[in-house]
Amino acid sequence: MLRMEIALFLVLAFVAFFYFSAEKEHAALHRTFSLLLVCVLVHLGLDGITVYTVNNLNTVPKLLNDAVHRLFLGSMVFVIYLFYQYIAILVEEETGKPRRLDIPAKIFLAIAELCNFLLPVSYTVTEKGNYSSGYFMLVPYGAVIFYLILCAGLLLINRRQIDKKKKSVIGIALTIEFIVCILQGLNHTWLISGMGITLMTLAFYLTLENPETLRSELTEQKISMLYLKSQVNPHFLYNTIDTIRIQAQLNKDVKVAELLMRLVDFFRLSVKIDRPIVTLDDEIELLEAYTELMCYRYPDLNVSYDTDPDLGGAQVPNFILQPIVENSLIHGLKNKGYRGDVTISAKKTENDKLEISVSDTGSGFDEGKKAEIDEMLRGYAKQPPKLSGNSIGILNVQKRIKLLCGREYGLSYTENETGGVTAHILLPLKEEIE
Amino acid sequence: MKKLRVLLVDDEVMIREGFKRLFDWEAHGCEVIGEAADGMEALAKLDALNPDIAVMDINIPIMNGLKVIQMSRLKHPDTAFIIVSGYDDFSYCREALRLQITDYILKPVNYEEFGICIDNLKIALFQREISENENPEEERAIYGITRFIQEHSAEDISLSVLSDEFHLNPQYISQLFKNEIGVNFLTYLTSIRMEQAKKLLLTTSLSITEISERSGYKDYRVFTKVFKKSEGITPSQYRRDFLQ
Repeated sequence: MLRMEIALFLVLAFVAFFYFSAEKEHAALHRTFSLLLVCVLVHLGLDGITVYTVNNLNTVPKLLNDAVHRLFLGSMVFVIYLFYQYIAILVEEETGKPRRLDIPAKIFLAIAELCNFLLPVSYTVTEKGNYSSGYFMLVPYGAVIFYLILCAGLLLINRRQIDKKKKSVIGIALTIEFIVCILQGLNHTWLISGMGITLMTLAFYLTLENPETLRSELTEQKISMLYLKSQVNPHFLYNTIDTIRIQAQLNKDVKVAELLMRLVDFFRLSVKIDRPIVTLDDEIELLEAYTELMCYRYPDLNVSYDTDPDLGGAQVPNFILQPIVENSLIHGLKNKGYRGDVTISAKKTENDKLEISVSDTGSGFDEGKKAEIDEMLRGYAKQPPKLSGNSIGILNVQKRIKLLCGREYGLSYTENETGGVTAHILLPLKEEIE
Repeated sequence: MKKLRVLLVDDEVMIREGFKRLFDWEAHGCEVIGEAADGMEALAKLDALNPDIAVMDINIPIMNGLKVIQMSRLKHPDTAFIIVSGYDDFSYCREALRLQITDYILKPVNYEEFGICIDNLKIALFQREISENENPEEERAIYGITRFIQEHSAEDISLSVLSDEFHLNPQYISQLFKNEIGVNFLTYLTSIRMEQAKKLLLTTSLSITEISERSGYKDYRVFTKVFKKSEGITPSQYRRDFLQ
C-alpha cells in the first residue's frame, strides 16, 4: 500500500511544480487552490507514514502512532474543508451571490479538529492489514459526509447559473470522493482515502486550474484592460466632438470647426477596426483625415495622392496605411522639421497585383537601419508579439498582410535616389469579399 | 417659388441650433417651421405642421426616428424625410431605404453636403412636376432647357451654350433656374451628371475614367471629388454598395 501513497505524492508534487511556476491572476480561487495543493501534499506524506506505522504496531511506540494518526486525519479534515471552500468560491464567482455557508463550515471544522485530537484512537489488527478504528474514526467520515452534502447542495441550488464545464467538474470530483469514501467504509483495510483526495485535486487541476487556462485568463484580462484604456465609447467621443464643432462654427471659428470635422472623420473611420478587410477607398479616406490633420499641425508638410480610381473597391487589410505614413512622418520627416513631401500612390502591377507605395523626402535610413528593418520584416514570424515599441506599427502591418493575404504579399522598403525612403505594399487585387 | 417648410428632429439642442443657424435655409428656399426632441413630439409636429421636409435623427428618445417615419409615412406621403444619423450601420440604411426616405446623411453634418441634398430634393420635385404635367401644350422654356441638359450632359454645357441654343439672355436663363427649380444652373447640371454617372456605374462595367468622361468630366479626379461630395462615397464604393 505504501507504494500507492508514494506514487500519488510524486504525481501531485509534479502538478504542484507546474502550477506554482505558471503565471496567474491573484484571485481568491487560485489562492485557495494553491493552499489546497500544499495541504494535500502534506496530507499524502502523513498518509504514507501512517500506512507504515499502523502496520508495524509492534515496533512503533503507541504514542507516536497516535500522534501521526491524529495529524493525518486532522489534515484530511482540513483538506476536505478546503475543497468545500474552493467550490464555494467557484459558485460565488459564477452566481455573484455571497457565500453564506462559510460560518457553519468553519464551526464544523473547529469541532471536527477538536474531536480529532481528543477522541481515543484504537487499532484493529487483521490478516490483510491493520487500520485505525473506534469513535475517533467518526471524525473523518463525518467531515467527508458533511462537506460533500454542503457542496452538493450548493451545486443543486445554483445549477442554472453555473457554467456547464464547471458544473461537470464539481460533479465529477464530488462523485469520486463519494465512491472512494463508501469503498473505504466497506473495506477498512484498503486505505484509499489518499487516492480519492488526489483524484479530486487532479480533476480541478486538469480542467479549471491548468497553467494554459490560467495564462489565457491573464492575457485576456490584460487585453481587455488595454482595450478599456484606449476605447472610450466611440459614439460618445464623436458625438461630443461634433457638438463642440457646431459650437465653434456658431462662434464663427470656421477653421476649428473644420479641423474638428476631420478629427471626427478619423475617429469614425478608425472605429471600424473590427473589420479585418476594408476597401482601398475606406483606407484612403481614413488616411486623408489623418494627413490633413497632420498637415494643419505642420504647414510645411505636403501630402499628395495618386491612386487609380478603378482600384477603389480593392479589398485591403484594415488600417495598414496609416501606420506606414505615420512612420514616414516620425522617422523621416520629423528630422527635417516636418518639411517635405509624402506621396501615396496605388497602382496595378503588370501581373495584376495591387501595389501601394508611400514615398517620402525625409532623412532616410540611418546607417545599418535599413538592414535591421529588412531583417525584421523578413523574419516577421519569429518576432514576439509586442504591445508597444518603435517598430510595432510596421511589424503589425507586415504580420496582418501575411496572415490575411498570403506569404507572397507584404511590406518592403527601398531607399530613394534623391533621399528619403519608399514603402512598398504588395497586395492581391480582388474586389470581392471572400 | 414657394418656400419649403422644414421640421428638425434631434434630441440634442446643439445639433438643432447648428442646423438652424449654420445652414442658409433662406438661400436654399426653405424655412424651419418647427423642432422636435423625441419620437412622440416628432409624430405630433408632423401631424400638426405637415412639413415638406423632415430632418430626422434616428437615435432619439421614446421612439426611434425610423419608427416615426414608418408610422407617419401613410399620413404624409409627400413629406421628404432626410435621415441624419451617427450610425453608419448598414442595417439602418437598408431599413431606411425601405421607408422611401429622400436621403441618408451621416453625422457630423457637413452643411455644404446638406445643401446638395436639399438641392437634389428640389430637382427631384421639379422632375416630378414635369412628369405629372398633363398639359404638353404648356411648354415652358425651363422644360426645354432641362431636357436639353439631360440629353447633352456629357458635352460641354454652359450658360452661354444654352443662350446660343435657345436664343435667350444667359442672365435670364440663370434666373429661370432660380425661380422655377430653386437651384442655380450649375447645381442642376451637376445633379443631372451625377444621376447619369450613377446609372452608368450600376448598369455598365465601364471604368471610372470612362464613366467620368461620359458624365461630362474630362478629369476623373474632379469627377471623383464632385461625386464624393454629392453622394458621400466614392464612385467605386457606390458601385460596390449597390451591386451587392
